[in-house]
Amino acid sequence: MEAIINCTDIGFSYNRTSILNGINLSIQPGNMLGILGANGAGKSTLLKILCGVLKPKSGKALFNDQELSKMDRREIAKGIAYIPQDPMFAFPFTVKEVVLMGRAPYIGRFEFERETDKEIAQNALETVGISHLKDRLINEVSSGERQLASIARGLVQEPGIMILDEPATYLDVKHRTEVMNILRRLKENKGISIIAATHDIFSSLFYFDDIMILKDGKILAEGRTDQIINSEILSLAYGIEVVVKKENGRVFVFPNQ
Amino acid sequence: MSTNRKFVVSMTLLFILWIITAFISIFSGTYSIGPLEAISNLDELSRTIFFQIRIPRVLMATIAGGTLALTGAALQALFRNSLASPFTLGISGGASLGALLAIRSGLAVGVLGFSMISISAFVFSILTMLFVYTISKVGGVVATGRLLLAGVVANFLYASIVMFIQFFSTFTESLQTMRWIMGSLDVVGFDTVWKTLIFVIPGCAILLSLTKDMNLFGLGDDVASSLGVNVRRMEKKIYFATSLAAGAVISVTGPIGFVGLIIPHILRMLLGVDNRIILPSSFLLGATFLTATDTLSRTIISPVEIPVGIITASIGGVFFLWLLIKTKKEIIV
Repeated sequence: MEAIINCTDIGFSYNRTSILNGINLSIQPGNMLGILGANGAGKSTLLKILCGVLKPKSGKALFNDQELSKMDRREIAKGIAYIPQDPMFAFPFTVKEVVLMGRAPYIGRFEFERETDKEIAQNALETVGISHLKDRLINEVSSGERQLASIARGLVQEPGIMILDEPATYLDVKHRTEVMNILRRLKENKGISIIAATHDIFSSLFYFDDIMILKDGKILAEGRTDQIINSEILSLAYGIEVVVKKENGRVFVFPNQ
Repeated sequence: MSTNRKFVVSMTLLFILWIITAFISIFSGTYSIGPLEAISNLDELSRTIFFQIRIPRVLMATIAGGTLALTGAALQALFRNSLASPFTLGISGGASLGALLAIRSGLAVGVLGFSMISISAFVFSILTMLFVYTISKVGGVVATGRLLLAGVVANFLYASIVMFIQFFSTFTESLQTMRWIMGSLDVVGFDTVWKTLIFVIPGCAILLSLTKDMNLFGLGDDVASSLGVNVRRMEKKIYFATSLAAGAVISVTGPIGFVGLIIPHILRMLLGVDNRIILPSSFLLGATFLTATDTLSRTIISPVEIPVGIITASIGGVFFLWLLIKTKKEIIV
């Protein structure tokens, strides 16, 4: 199958500090890729390059065989949805209004959303299970609900791929599981590819098909999840000894202190 | 109510409100002219007052009030902060100084049909905006405290230069400047109205074309960019258009305070925060508000005219105070 996103030899630097170096990455449609790595390993920068927000300083990032940096921004927005780690809501829009903003790439400069756009938004709200919150103000709902609203906003872009930066970091265990289950359903039911950065090694095991581990802006390891999550690689990635134990078919990950 | 219905209903109601206010304003003043008189038989004096003073004045109040409120709403979107306005950011002060310098240095001539006074006001507006934006942005986010402080600093700086110029002025010049700084809509004839519109129409049109992008910008630079907005270009357009429109208005009317702050605020409380509604409705309500306050300024102690800036600033001051108290416990957005 054709890769939906295909990167070769991506490099990025900021003020002469190298942040990413020689990154090759490709993801097939309907696949779920987790990106792990210590803070500052370059995860967020890589994600921003993959969704066209940042231009790589070297190498090529292709989306459906087209170079991202040469594509029209609105065209990218119809194919790739980006959900940042800590979304900003500078003004108290309602949850529904926030979700509807995902239709922006489909709407003209002086247009309002049509009935079909509203239906798509309503469906997205139901998919993530927050349609009861649609008239609430976005800065008055919980952070978990805000994250779900952001995912719904990404969903109405009708993307082929969703790129999420630590989608579950600030959430409690219930909401974290909910978010990850929703992402898995999107993958299975709608065939949407998912790339997510995460610090949650434990849930990575259950949800991601593939894992890429970054260290100091380079790829430390990549491959099928069960092959990558092992003591040796994780200890290298995080710089402390990490134990991965298998017991009765269950996997446990913890730091060895 | 859906967004497009809300748009149609609010714009219609606000337009009717403006029509009524403008109608009352045209027929109010020291010299009484009734509606019936105006369409039948006006004597020479009434005709001059009606067509050369009343109508241009109502038009000027409409343009000035509308522009200040609309640019206020646009600045609030740009700074992602509802305390931003041409007045609080020191842009009014900058434009006033620019206009004053042009007048005093004898540059009150036109270049290719554009008034040098407006151009000078525009240059000072855009410089002030860049100054305030650079100072108040910390790590990509505008900090409210720094924003207001930078505005205050800019205002003080400009005020000191204005005072310096005042010190070397003759008594008459000084009085003229003083009255102008109080903010007034004292225009005669349509000439000034047209000259202001040359700047105001493109400025406001650019801002109105960006309302959808401004909404997305409220979700942060990266998300806006991922949704198809060219963020840096949008920011530059807002700088340019706001300075153009607000600078032109202020160079004529002087710094009329707080219209740009109050009006978008009231509308957000009534209509929500969608900029596609807030910007155009700000124009209409700002126009209505300034027309109404100007009518007050001409009539409360007639035949004496109080500068309209005194009225808007006193209403605005109280409103600003209320806003600060109200938002004490919450984060000011």
